Amino acid sequence: MLELKDLVVQQGQSQFHFTGVLKEHKCTALMGPSGSGKTTLLNVLAGFVEPAQGELTWQGQDLLSLMPAQRPFTSLFQEHNLFAHLNLADNVGLGLHPGLSLTKAQRQEVEVALQQVGLQGMGQRLPASLSGGQRQRTALARALVRRQPWLLLDEPFSALDPGLRQEMISLVAELQAEHNLSIVLVTHDPQEALKMASEVMFIAEGGVYWQGQGTDFLQQQSAPIQRYLGH
Amino acid sequence: MNFTLKQGSWLWVSGLAVLLVVGPFLAVAIALAGQVAAIDWSLLLEDAYLRSVIWFSIWQASLSTLLSVGLALPLARALARRHFAGRDLLLRVFSVALVVPAIVAVFGLVVVHGRQGWVNELLRFLDLSSGSYLYGLIGILLAHVFFNLPLVTRIVLQRMETIEPESWRLASQLGMSSWQHWRVLEWPHIRAVLAPVAALIFALCFTSFAIVMSLGGGPRATTLEVAIYQAVRLDFDLPLATQLSLVQLLLCGIILWLGLRLGRPTDISHSLGMSVERPDTRAIVGKALDVLFILLGLVLVVLPLSGVVLAGINDHWLQVLGDQQLWMAAWNSLWVAMSAAFLCLFMAWGLLLMQRHTRQRWPWSAALIDALGMMTLVVPALVLGTGLFLALRNWVDVMAINLYLVLLVNSVLGLPFMLRVLTTPYLQLAQQHDRLCSSLGVSGWYRLRHIEWPVLRPAMGLGLAIVAAFSVGDLGVVALFGTPDVKTLPLLMYQRLGSYQADAAAVTAVMLLALCLLVFVLLEKGIGSRRA
Repeated sequence: MLELKDLVVQQGQSQFHFTGVLKEHKCTALMGPSGSGKTTLLNVLAGFVEPAQGELTWQGQDLLSLMPAQRPFTSLFQEHNLFAHLNLADNVGLGLHPGLSLTKAQRQEVEVALQQVGLQGMGQRLPASLSGGQRQRTALARALVRRQPWLLLDEPFSALDPGLRQEMISLVAELQAEHNLSIVLVTHDPQEALKMASEVMFIAEGGVYWQGQGTDFLQQQSAPIQRYLGH
Repeated sequence: MNFTLKQGSWLWVSGLAVLLVVGPFLAVAIALAGQVAAIDWSLLLEDAYLRSVIWFSIWQASLSTLLSVGLALPLARALARRHFAGRDLLLRVFSVALVVPAIVAVFGLVVVHGRQGWVNELLRFLDLSSGSYLYGLIGILLAHVFFNLPLVTRIVLQRMETIEPESWRLASQLGMSSWQHWRVLEWPHIRAVLAPVAALIFALCFTSFAIVMSLGGGPRATTLEVAIYQAVRLDFDLPLATQLSLVQLLLCGIILWLGLRLGRPTDISHSLGMSVERPDTRAIVGKALDVLFILLGLVLVVLPLSGVVLAGINDHWLQVLGDQQLWMAAWNSLWVAMSAAFLCLFMAWGLLLMQRHTRQRWPWSAALIDALGMMTLVVPALVLGTGLFLALRNWVDVMAINLYLVLLVNSVLGLPFMLRVLTTPYLQLAQQHDRLCSSLGVSGWYRLRHIEWPVLRPAMGLGLAIVAAFSVGDLGVVALFGTPDVKTLPLLMYQRLGSYQADAAAVTAVMLLALCLLVFVLLEKGIGSRRA
């Protein structure tokens, strides 16, 4: 279990307090109105933003003292997931060694990961020659080779067409089952969220407002959730 | 976002770079402060020569700025409206003019406008009165316009090309006249960049050294920069040099500050872009005016350059090329320029690195680093050189390490240009990929090798090329530190011009120009071109 204990984060004028738990081997959707701090929370987990105080622990280990690259997370952003000047194999390979000194076995591993996301044989292509969906697949392949237990998804499919989005969601679900991943997902769309996630963490009013099973979420009667769902 | 500062390795690299930049300035400040007590401030009010020097500095810089900007506006407009064979070539020559060594430009002007020059030959041929008009204010203005007209023209042209094609279509539908086009479309686009550009040109002309030194022709046309040189090198009057430096710093600072307050700086971009079809190309008067200004641009910029090349075609090549002095000087110029360019790149990269890491946490420090990079626009070369000379003379034999000092000063002087080319792509890269890099652990050497170097190569190549070309042609700092044994190519050229070896000087000028362009092209293409 990933434990968030009294994490206080200052972002410009707003302050956030996060307390809660994220379950392992599940997909948790972070939901909430825009500006509520969903992405901020993901950034705190990944180590891009330093909280002013609080604790973040996983398997009894304090994560806050670790550099982003040392934490058990791998991130997928909405855009800029790939370096435009590196080919797909190198972009994926960066996940195995940040200086790209790869062994033969590791190169093989890159090829396998590309295969898993349906991009076999495209390792030499540059990102510019790919569609948006293929680019996100490449980033997903890199997430796989990093072998981190947690996958942080920050609206990674919101720029894709509905059909492609559907495809990506199925792909992530497949990969989750195969690799036994723990996923934290930020999304705007409750439908999409509940399709992927069994757990929901609702962020509002400067912190974790509600947390529970996805099936219970839609039944919640409190005003912020009702307003968010548009009921 | 507060990016964590836990990476420690970058700290010493950027710290070293900042130290390299700050060090010379601190040394200068301390050295100048040591002389302040001995300054006789009443000189400023009482000494007629000093007053005339200050007055002339301001006067020639104002006229140069006025002429450069005043001619660049109609010339840029003409180039935007007309598409003729050779237009691209002309623009290319204009972009080269910026890095032509001052002493080479001076030589070109002598070929065209000197006593035996083309203009006087023509006048004699037509049986009109001929004579010497080059040395003095006219020569200085001609040289300053040679350098600055192309620069302003390119910047203005670039701004004009940012006007949306739809705006032109709309304008033609509304039946706007040429004057209305200017007032409604062009002027608003240009206005923002004009004040900083004018301020920059004023500062460049105000602190111009090699040109005034070789074309000034005497005490009547002397600027502060030349007076500082004379005070240090000829009279060894250090309090006077300090006093002049302070006056120069103050005036330069005020002008640049005003320019920045009144507008915003523009990026020097390399591409000249595509030009759009404009609706105002048919009027006869407009056509005649455009032709006139394009011809004027040719006469002012292209003619002196052709003068250099044509004068270089003489039978002194063997004699000059056999001279070992030339090769020694060329070698000195080359290694000093190359080292200065790479040192400058290192400084700029270090400053940007520090800026990137402190941007979120301490905005003031980012602003401070920004200001540091622009400092050299206010502190002219000779002030920096003089200060270093004063600071170091008690510790080391300054003349023994003179070329290393020239190298250091040149790289500090090149910093504003390097930063202008590098800052935007660097910060853009940081903004797009900082999170990804830190989540993958791509930092330090890995980041430099795999991310920054491939992406920033074109910008780095252009920056290196500009700084190296400037440095090859430098005749400012090196005049202060040069000795008979250790010369650079511009210094040799200056001496040959002074000793009336016109043919030898012509060959040297072609060599110097060629070296300058070679360095520019090699760095820009060699480093700047992406792998496919």
